[in-house]
Amino acid sequence: MNHTPTLVETQVLPVERPFRFESGDILPRIDIAYETYGRLNERRDNAVLIEHALSGDAHAAFYHRGDRKPGWWDCMIGPGKAFDTDRYFVICSNVIGGCRGTSGPASIDPATGRPYGLTFPPLSVRDMVEVQRVLLRHLGIDRLKCIAGGSMGGMQALQFFCDYPFQFESFICIASSMKHSAQQIAFNEVGRRAIMADPRWNDGNYYDGVPPEGGLSVARMIGHITYLSEKMMQEKFGRLKKDKESRAIFRPSFEVEHYLDYQGISFVKRFDANSYLYITNAIDNFDLKTSLSSRDRFRGEGRQRGAHLDDMRGKRGLVISFSSDWLYPPSQSKEIVQLFSAFNVQVSYTEIATEHGHDAFLTDYARPSEIIRGFLSSLS
Amino acid sequence: MYKISAQNYPIIQEWVAQGSRVLDLGCGDGSLLKTLAGTRQVDGIGVEISHEMILECISKGICVYQADIDKDLSEWDDGSFDYVVLNATLQVITRPYRVIEEMLRVGRFAIISISNFGYARNRLRVLAQGRVSSSARLSGGWHDTPVLRYVSLREFMSSIREIGVEIMDARYFFPFNVVSSTRWPLYNLLAKEGIFRLRRA
Repeated sequence: MNHTPTLVETQVLPVERPFRFESGDILPRIDIAYETYGRLNERRDNAVLIEHALSGDAHAAFYHRGDRKPGWWDCMIGPGKAFDTDRYFVICSNVIGGCRGTSGPASIDPATGRPYGLTFPPLSVRDMVEVQRVLLRHLGIDRLKCIAGGSMGGMQALQFFCDYPFQFESFICIASSMKHSAQQIAFNEVGRRAIMADPRWNDGNYYDGVPPEGGLSVARMIGHITYLSEKMMQEKFGRLKKDKESRAIFRPSFEVEHYLDYQGISFVKRFDANSYLYITNAIDNFDLKTSLSSRDRFRGEGRQRGAHLDDMRGKRGLVISFSSDWLYPPSQSKEIVQLFSAFNVQVSYTEIATEHGHDAFLTDYARPSEIIRGFLSSLS
Repeated sequence: MYKISAQNYPIIQEWVAQGSRVLDLGCGDGSLLKTLAGTRQVDGIGVEISHEMILECISKGICVYQADIDKDLSEWDDGSFDYVVLNATLQVITRPYRVIEEMLRVGRFAIISISNFGYARNRLRVLAQGRVSSSARLSGGWHDTPVLRYVSLREFMSSIREIGVEIMDARYFFPFNVVSSTRWPLYNLLAKEGIFRLRRA
């Protein structure tokens, strides 16, 4: 078999008008990086919106020219896959506040000609949603078959679905939560502290020099510990040592140390430390239920507060959790099911048996693919 | 696996009111909910433990929740459903009283069907062969049959009354497709199965 990899490019939509954040802060212009796969049909009703997780980006599937690795969810998106690009028009964009093409703290502030750094407005999951609405309007899509995402992507999917239920036929939420627990916030806080304790962070002003790579890589190492189950870590690494002969003290010697070191180093090459702070802060503050009953939705198209929630009635939902995921445990997914059942959404729930912890949402694609394929094909 | 009892569908349809909310425990491939959605326009959710059945349900557009009935009903609030159905599933449950109590907590009414271990053929089989686990509704040997509970209609009815459950309605299945709502003499010997509509006494 000779497969020529399907090539894609990340597109950038420049939005030359002010974007208002939930905080009330305004950016004069933004960029939105996105990719699309498959074709929009004539009725324009086969679009599926994919939401990425904390460290993800718009490159969800296929290959960039010259790359050896495909997009982050290539196992799920493509011809004949869970999100079948022969049937659906799949869209994925980088979140606002990120660093992979969409405007974020590393972007240039036109007022100063310098990166925003910490002058970038505080960020919420709802801001991520609103930016994607700008993109959808540009693409001329107002009805979508499904919105789907895992982890932080699941949060965006839920927020988007709840804020604009009339736009979606269904949602799929994988290994996610409607609000972070104290433990989840605690891990993120340690990550943020690691960055801020790095002297190179310099209150977010490091774009002229060396970024706080040490702090960011420690944050990523902590993340990776929480993404794996204890059992999997033990099986994968145990107490194996890479270099038994080495006499150097306090150099990574255990396999697990090398693994985390590698994850940390490869992360700093592609991720901005300030984006990490902004995005983790946004997901820590995410509280779906509270956000739905919050006082003022100033971009809410003049709808009566809460009335739009009735539009959820009869819509379809799918919630998937992984048995060994202790970062976003199945209990949090079950809470999502109960909430949406109360909104009269037809929600199904499945817990996939796996040893791969939270990482399973990126790696265990066989069962979720079957389920998602079945779910999508059962939609009208 | 034990047979899925489709013969009860007409009776369940008769008992379930139009447009009500139904929870089907051990819903299998979702065929009961599909039937009820078609004829009674119910808003239904199935509970299943098997991955294969979950996939079946989701692919059919049936709303399903993966859980172990023995453990997980606590997530639903009191009175979330009008009817909670346990069709041909009671015998595989570890803690039947707890499940029945949970059914009547989350639902206003419960519908439970059981096969009658006191049925003459079952008795004869035990008597003649001295084998308990080869009753008609079981598959496999004693060690791997999913059926944990061997109960007769009489035992079931008297015991659930003791835990404060009222039998509102019953149907008994006799050989030759005879279904009766009256409890004939010797029903505990002659009926193959029974189905009951229950509520808190």
